[in-house]
Amino acid sequence: MIKRIIAEKISKKFKIGFRKNQSILEKIVSLISGREPKRIITALDNVSFSCNSGEILGIIGENGSGKSTLLRIIAGIYKKDSGKIQTNGKLISLINLSVGLKERLTMKDNIFLCCSLFGLNTKQIKKKFDSIVKFSELEEFVNTKIYQFSEGMKQRLGFSTAIHCNPEILLLDEVFAVGDEEFRKKSVKKIKNFLREGVSIVLVSHDLETIKKYCTKVILMEKGKIVNYGDAKKIIKEYLKDEARK
Amino acid sequence: MGIKQTLNLSYSLAKANFKLRNEGSYLGIFWYLLNPLLMFSLLLLIFSDRLGNNISQYPLYLLLGIIMFNFFQKATLESTGSILRDNGLIKSINFPKSALVFSIVLKTLFSHLFEIILFGIFLIIFKVSLVGVLLYLPLLVFFYIFVLGISLILSAMTTYIVDMGNIWTFALTLIWLGTPIFYAIQGQTKLFYINLFNPIYYFITIARDLTLYSKISPFWMIATMVIYSLLSIVIGILVFNKLKNKFAELI
Repeated sequence: MIKRIIAEKISKKFKIGFRKNQSILEKIVSLISGREPKRIITALDNVSFSCNSGEILGIIGENGSGKSTLLRIIAGIYKKDSGKIQTNGKLISLINLSVGLKERLTMKDNIFLCCSLFGLNTKQIKKKFDSIVKFSELEEFVNTKIYQFSEGMKQRLGFSTAIHCNPEILLLDEVFAVGDEEFRKKSVKKIKNFLREGVSIVLVSHDLETIKKYCTKVILMEKGKIVNYGDAKKIIKEYLKDEARK
Repeated sequence: MGIKQTLNLSYSLAKANFKLRNEGSYLGIFWYLLNPLLMFSLLLLIFSDRLGNNISQYPLYLLLGIIMFNFFQKATLESTGSILRDNGLIKSINFPKSALVFSIVLKTLFSHLFEIILFGIFLIIFKVSLVGVLLYLPLLVFFYIFVLGISLILSAMTTYIVDMGNIWTFALTLIWLGTPIFYAIQGQTKLFYINLFNPIYYFITIARDLTLYSKISPFWMIATMVIYSLLSIVIGILVFNKLKNKFAELI
């Protein structure tokens, strides 16, 4: 079993602008200097975990608990302040399904563009093209510009494109299974196939039912810290109990 | 991602942007030619009698200056906001951000090539040899490298200094007026010394010598042009690499 993701003592702080009651002089000074008063917030504090091949790791927690920041640090989008992060395998992040899609281009052009963003070359894209179109069930719309697509169709296209880009680590932010019931079933089947092939999936979600159903392990986050980490069913049970107590 | 994949992505982005630029347009790529042609006609009308009087082949002199400056202006100005414009993408996928800038300069190069074809047609009309256009191509490599370097610097700095777009628009106006595009330096010593620090002056002058007057510019000019290109790309890559790690957090 390969350890796909190893995170050791990851910390991340952000400087954020905020309004406070400034005097007129202070306002002029910050306007001229272009410097706003900044506050430092700790988004991640000493976070350690690992994820093996063939595992789905769920990340749960309230808004602002650091889930998406953690996902972006694993993806290499944000740089950590301290700690160590190691990923083994090709990483595909699906933080927003319609990102990268250009509304005024055809579905075909969008597939080529998105696959290039996920690191595929033209030859590889041509090989995968039919399979992407078939999986998305949008064969009739290959030459249609996607501003004419419904949101569901765009999601299907985005999801289908990403899973065909040979991921070994898949990072999903609230996009586990999209589209209608039929498409969801197909997506889940594909994800299960991935797991059998040794792909690791990290899933950030507020949908506890999905997490409980599919995840092997779960991380519960609060204010940038891991407050619970382990077996999915056990942690969700404890979490629901704590929430009920509140 | 390696260099090959970065270039592959840059090409895909450039192609997509080129298609987007022409999408739904009735005149399509002719818009690329229309802008320099209108500018050329207007300036020719205003200046040909006085400013252009002592300049040999003034219409061609003017047209080449306009299309070269156009390439520099369009690529650098669009690059300035490139990182800010694609913030959603940068926050969602880890990909080589430099590809965003490469693609803009590449896309502008496509349209520049159309303008060069237009220039070639004018050379034929004015009965000047087309050999100069072929000689322009190696010069274009250095010009491309120079523009790419400046674009990298501007795109990276704009994420830190939001006013960069306005500052650069103003700077471009100064460069447009300060560079001998629609006039010639001809004995204006002060202007000549100022232009020694203006890289665009070197590119345009060497290109004019090659294409219009069938001569090779002095060695010191060619050497300075090469130095400016290399300096630009080296500083561009250094600045971009230094600042790129914070892009996702700043936009």
